[in-house]
Amino acid sequence: MKITEALRIVQGTPADAPPFQVTLACGFTPLHLRTFLNAHLQVALPKRSVQIKEGLFGDLCGTLERVGECDGVVVVIEWPDLDARLDYRNAGGWGRDTVASVVEHATLSLDRMRAALGRIPSGTPVALALPSSPLPPIFSAPGWQASEAELLLNSNLLHFAAELARDGRVRVVSAERLAQDSPWETRFDLKSDLKAGLPYTIAHADHVAEMLAKALIPKAPKKGIISDLDDTLWKGIVGDEGPENVHWDLHGDAQMHGLYQKLLGSLSDTGTLVGVASKNDPAVVAKTFERSDMVLRSEQVFPIEASWNAKSGAVKRILETWNIAADSVIFVDDSPMELAEVAALHPGIECVLFPKEDPVACLQMLRRLRDLCGKDKVSSDDMLRLASIRQGAVFREQAEAGSAPEAFLEQAQAIVTFDFSAAGEPRTLELVNKTNQFNLNGRRWAPADWHRETSDHRCMTVAVAYEDKFGPLGTIGVAKSQFSGERLLIDTWVMSCRAFSRRVEHQTLRLLFDTAGVEEIEFTFEPTAKNGPTQEFFASLLGETPKAPFVLRKSQFDEHCPALYHEVRELKKAEAHG
Amino acid sequence: MDDVTPKLIECFQIVFPGLNESKIPTASQDNLAEWDSVAAITLVNVIEEQFGIEMDLDDVAELDSFEKVRAYLQRRSQPA
Repeated sequence: MKITEALRIVQGTPADAPPFQVTLACGFTPLHLRTFLNAHLQVALPKRSVQIKEGLFGDLCGTLERVGECDGVVVVIEWPDLDARLDYRNAGGWGRDTVASVVEHATLSLDRMRAALGRIPSGTPVALALPSSPLPPIFSAPGWQASEAELLLNSNLLHFAAELARDGRVRVVSAERLAQDSPWETRFDLKSDLKAGLPYTIAHADHVAEMLAKALIPKAPKKGIISDLDDTLWKGIVGDEGPENVHWDLHGDAQMHGLYQKLLGSLSDTGTLVGVASKNDPAVVAKTFERSDMVLRSEQVFPIEASWNAKSGAVKRILETWNIAADSVIFVDDSPMELAEVAALHPGIECVLFPKEDPVACLQMLRRLRDLCGKDKVSSDDMLRLASIRQGAVFREQAEAGSAPEAFLEQAQAIVTFDFSAAGEPRTLELVNKTNQFNLNGRRWAPADWHRETSDHRCMTVAVAYEDKFGPLGTIGVAKSQFSGERLLIDTWVMSCRAFSRRVEHQTLRLLFDTAGVEEIEFTFEPTAKNGPTQEFFASLLGETPKAPFVLRKSQFDEHCPALYHEVRELKKAEAHG
Repeated sequence: MDDVTPKLIECFQIVFPGLNESKIPTASQDNLAEWDSVAAITLVNVIEEQFGIEMDLDDVAELDSFEKVRAYLQRRSQPA
């Protein structure tokens, strides 16, 4: 991004947009870093007005210690923040005794930063960048040799960052990725540092700001990858060469296919759905997946669509099985023609070419897939996702083919668990912010706003989990409400599409009517392009599709509520509110 | 009008969005409160991008009015 573009983005912010307040803690003059950070955050949050507040020059720790209520904190550490003698602008000496003292003092500075970061209110996201400008030539060893002091300094810094990353509240910018995007030789501007107090070149300030913005406001990861098989998941055409003669290892000169399988397996283990769309004989494909040396195990993949028909049809069936939209999915194939065919029929799907002849491009592709699907935390619900999709497929098959739906639901041995103490769980907000189809109004919440509102004693937030004889679905619903006079006002209500057709939404409403002891519930409903299932549900209760916020009477609900067969459990009873 | 002036006015509009276009030709650090040391560096960087040139930070202190910046850029644009 150019500075001109960044300024135009910042100036183009709608004046009436709700503010998104960010504290920028850094010890140097942020100047362009601030402008770029503002611009990158503004691009990530087009409906908010990003406002950046910075602290005093040379006082990073003090700024961190004074962080008040805000929507996010960005921390940019540089060497002088650990010890002023590492500042090119400082007049102190670089003697032998100084070096040991610098390492010792840096440790104390890191301890102070760690303590200050620990005091930032929970729910406020924090993004942090470690020093990215070169150390001054302070150490006694020649520049090509790392001295013990230099290694200790770096080691302390990395331990500090690892502790923060383990805690999960602070997202640390990857030094390795920053090095790829912003090479060492183009990072540091000594003249700017000496004259203006900004050590970064414009290009480096932009790279650092971009990565901090991504860390502070992470994009929703893609939910699934649909992969081709021949010359993609493995090397060779399995229909011609046979299951035993396709390769994915060094021996078969096919290691890139093996690395691709490793990545898919790793993503599957952390909740990314992996499916297959292949023009092949299903029996041959099944036989290949039986090979004991397959890196990607068959239980990590569902569904496998193998036929001789168009790939777009297979992709359509997979999306239906997963019940997610094309724009949440990546399609990988070695054939540009197949990619084009799928892209044409599924607008929004991310099509990625498998560059089978080019290992360098292949590694870039693997990194891109990790970037698109990666998550900083893996929840227990992420681990359940694939199993619950399989469970859902069995559920639908039995519901459609076997016994009548009513009897089927009655025999499902379903348990719905309501937890009134889960508002602060990461999965709760994640579900609210990524659910589209059953979503009361499409509202997305900044973590700090969510934490602030749900911490209010007048607010009642319930997380809903579901399981039945086919297996658990995990947490699949969230409703946030508060009393408004004699009514309950629900302003947020989402339910995962994986739980559709099980009447969990009815059970949730019944529980809220009973728990709140009210005769009316007001819904802050708003139709969106994607919440059709929510509109249909309300139409079934109201007799017409709502167009705006509305009130539902308990008598209306009781009249239209079908039989509910769930066993209901409450992990923590709702407390008296209002 | 020369080539430099309209482009420079655009630079000032980017850095000082609240400044009326008619007042840009007479703007200086003396009459424009927003033109502080931070804005001065930002202005230099925007001029560098818009004109495709590199400016020395040592020159920044001297360039304290629109007219002086314009004269500087005109000198730079003339063949040596």
